[in-house]
Amino acid sequence: MVMGAIIVGVWALIFLFSFLNSFNEAYLRNAINYEYSHIQVHHRSYLTEPDVKFSITDKEKMISALSSNSMVQAYSARQLVSGMIASSKANSGVMIYGVSPADEAQVTALDQQLVEGDYFAEIKRNPVLISKKTADKLKIGLRSKVVLTFQNIEGEITSGAFRVTGIFDSKSPKINESVIYVRQSDISRLVGFEGVNEIAILASQLREIPQIEEDLRREFGEVTIRRYNIVAPEFDLLEQQSTVSKQMLTTIIMLALLFGIINTMLMAVLERTKEIGMLRSVGMQKLRVFGMIIWETLLLSLVAAPVGLMMGFVTNLYFGERGMDLSRYAESLKEYGYDSIYYPSLDNSAYYILMLVVVVTALIGAIYPAWKAIQLNPLEAIRKL
Amino acid sequence: MSMPVIETIKLKKVYNPDKIPVVAIDSVDLTIEQGEFTAIVGPSGCGKTTLLNLIGGLDVPTEGSVKVADTQIGQLREAQLTDFRLKHIGFVFQSYNLIPVLTARENVEFIMLLQNSDKKEREGRSAELMEKMGMKEAMDRRPAELSGGQQQRVAVARALASRPKFILADEPTANLDSKSTESLLDIMSRMNQEENATFIFSTHDHRVIDKARRVITLEDGKITSDERR
Ligand SMILES: Nc1ncnc2c1ncn2[C@@H]1O[C@H](COP(=O)(O)OP(=O)(O)OP(=O)(O)O)[C@@H](O)[C@H]1O
Ligand SMILES: [Mg+2]
Repeated sequence: MVMGAIIVGVWALIFLFSFLNSFNEAYLRNAINYEYSHIQVHHRSYLTEPDVKFSITDKEKMISALSSNSMVQAYSARQLVSGMIASSKANSGVMIYGVSPADEAQVTALDQQLVEGDYFAEIKRNPVLISKKTADKLKIGLRSKVVLTFQNIEGEITSGAFRVTGIFDSKSPKINESVIYVRQSDISRLVGFEGVNEIAILASQLREIPQIEEDLRREFGEVTIRRYNIVAPEFDLLEQQSTVSKQMLTTIIMLALLFGIINTMLMAVLERTKEIGMLRSVGMQKLRVFGMIIWETLLLSLVAAPVGLMMGFVTNLYFGERGMDLSRYAESLKEYGYDSIYYPSLDNSAYYILMLVVVVTALIGAIYPAWKAIQLNPLEAIRKL
Repeated sequence: MSMPVIETIKLKKVYNPDKIPVVAIDSVDLTIEQGEFTAIVGPSGCGKTTLLNLIGGLDVPTEGSVKVADTQIGQLREAQLTDFRLKHIGFVFQSYNLIPVLTARENVEFIMLLQNSDKKEREGRSAELMEKMGMKEAMDRRPAELSGGQQQRVAVARALASRPKFILADEPTANLDSKSTESLLDIMSRMNQEENATFIFSTHDHRVIDKARRVITLEDGKITSDERR
């Protein structure tokens, strides 16, 4: 009985942990891949005053440095212009990303997020990509004409007519909400200024991020270089939150386990009143009886915990391979930038820690029954013989 | 040649001294010599179990003292008394003498393990005793796979394992049929001679009484007769 409880408890913990992990990982992965990238570079003043005029001064040099850096997988230089998009029916505030289509596709896979139209394929003038959400808001579709309004470099209000050539559906809710993409050449002509406000960088390997940052900092002093978790503090928050959730889960399940162990071992002690009375009578010391009960409980957990761990491991193996399809619930998940299929996984260290936690729980749970066992009066116990 | 292994002086036990006092043992002066084969008899409730428990250091007297060999056991602290029981007194109870998860032989070895005997000694002694008990074939069986008579024989072997000063057996045959009773008594009697083990047992059974070489009769907690044969 205790064995069953331990097995199920351990298994459930592993499953929940892994699920939580994959959930968060997927969220972070999406946020990085579709929104933040690994590193963002801005003009120093741009962050406090997001004005198109604060562009990266050494952009040519930086771009050539990035393209020759083998640790950099991809980068995209963007001109960011805040403005308005208007159809004949409605309008909406947007951030206009002036991008070089090929680079942007490398960094955010924007080309693969199109649900309609194509990715800057036509050489026609002023194509714009808008999100499904924006399209719905403006009640427009593919090939609709829109007017973008913004300030030019002199601070004067300028507009340009654009045609919707593609509609995307990003995994980033923020991008769906307020970003539209145009060619940088088109927007800079209208703004009257050819500059880059933001460079988003993807590293080949996560562990190379610090090195890339350092290289950039050494060469370019005038820019702000920020890693994804600084760009978006929610990364750290999520990490903390998941740690807290895991601790809570562990505590709850271990508490349940603790009471299960106390209960069963107490029953076992009661059932063995006669045996314990006999042992005390023939000369077994209290301490030894105490140790015996503790040892038996420990043994139970030492047998049961690995079984639970194995089961958890196998479950992870199965779902890790096949993925866990949550698409039935995915509509609402997508709103928050989550995926619908998960591949649970867990660090090896978690298995060791869990094993330790179970053993410690068993030990604690054994104390009260063991104490009860030595409180038994051997005379009373053998009188019932 | 013979020397006392047990000496009780004015032994008295009163249960429930505060409520309705029951005088279970009353001023018992008793001396048991090394090598005796003694039966304690008397009607139900006369105090046999109480007397054995007092002698065995399982219960504390209200008055008087129990001396085992040279030790006043009333002066031992609880842990010391437990250790004393382990090393110097063998116990055979009416039933439930054995640990159910251990085999017959392991039950004997287990107590020797508590007594800190080394492995070689444990194996040698348990094998020897199993042989003497006529349990050689059944020694790897668990208690549930043994008859009541066989279980009691294992209990006797367990009690003999450390060559204690004496063995206390409270109605060891109460749950046995007449054939098993006879064979258990024969074995105890033989051990009394072969190992020079001192046995003190209580009983109601006349066939058991007949085998004893000393019979002490208790009535209302007092010794009313004490005959040697
Ligand atoms: N724990 C106890 N509390 C109160 N009275 C007790 C207790 N144990 C025994 N007695 C009483 O003490 C007296 C002696 O009991 P004891 O068990 O020693 O008798 P006995 O000769 O072993 O009887 P039996 O042949 O039935 O086993 C009895 O009157 C019994 O009711
Ligand atoms: Mg009795």
